[in-house]
Amino acid sequence: MNSKLVSRNVLLFAAAIFIASCGTATFTKTGSDATIESLRNFELAFIDQFAVPGKKFNAAAFNAKVNEGNAKFQQAIADEKFTARRPVLVNLKGQFDADAAHLQSKASRGKITPALATEMKNDVNKTYDHALGR
Amino acid sequence: MPSAGKPKRKKHKKSELDSALGQISDESIAATKEEFQDLLSQAKGDTSELIRQNAEELERRLVLLKKRKIDKEDFDFFVENQKRDLRVFIDSQPAQQQERAEKLTLRVLEIAAKVAIALI
Repeated sequence: MNSKLVSRNVLLFAAAIFIASCGTATFTKTGSDATIESLRNFELAFIDQFAVPGKKFNAAAFNAKVNEGNAKFQQAIADEKFTARRPVLVNLKGQFDADAAHLQSKASRGKITPALATEMKNDVNKTYDHALGR
Repeated sequence: MPSAGKPKRKKHKKSELDSALGQISDESIAATKEEFQDLLSQAKGDTSELIRQNAEELERRLVLLKKRKIDKEDFDFFVENQKRDLRVFIDSQPAQQQERAEKLTLRVLEIAAKVAIALI
């Protein structure tokens, strides 16, 4: 009788731990998704600010924004609780680096077109959707 | 009841890219162009959404390049973006499907770079 009770309590305890860990994982994943969404919004705003046809290139403002972006990505990578998600964030950082390099090269020569800005934003959205498993 | 007459052949409407590719007169890339058109057509009809999406993006960007709305630097930049994104997808495919996925994505992108030069 006693052993039955002990077994039941052990089972209930195990179930409680399992349920609690699922809740924590979901909560953490939600936080991680929110970070990725925040990085997406930052990168889209970055493109909107600098991929403007005919706009004079402001190197100081551009470099400041790139530094801000680098800090955001590095922080996100360091804070990521899911180790499996770190390579995803590193990949997103790679996209940001490539976008920044291309934008600098084109904007500093006044070679931004509306189609370039649109396509860059399409790529950003697609990459982030894939990062979020959509 | 189905009609017993001549089978109706569905007319394939020529896309903007087909018309642009038709204008390429350089005979030295005729085989490359043919391979590109064949692979792109397979990719556009593939069951994988990502392969179809990649083909559609590539087609759209080749048309933008032809219309000079983007330049070759932009085109190459987008091709590299697409490759970076696709490598993750290909690695996640079962071994027996990797070769096909690679052919319909990375290979198409590689040939597209050659076709793009002839297009402008």
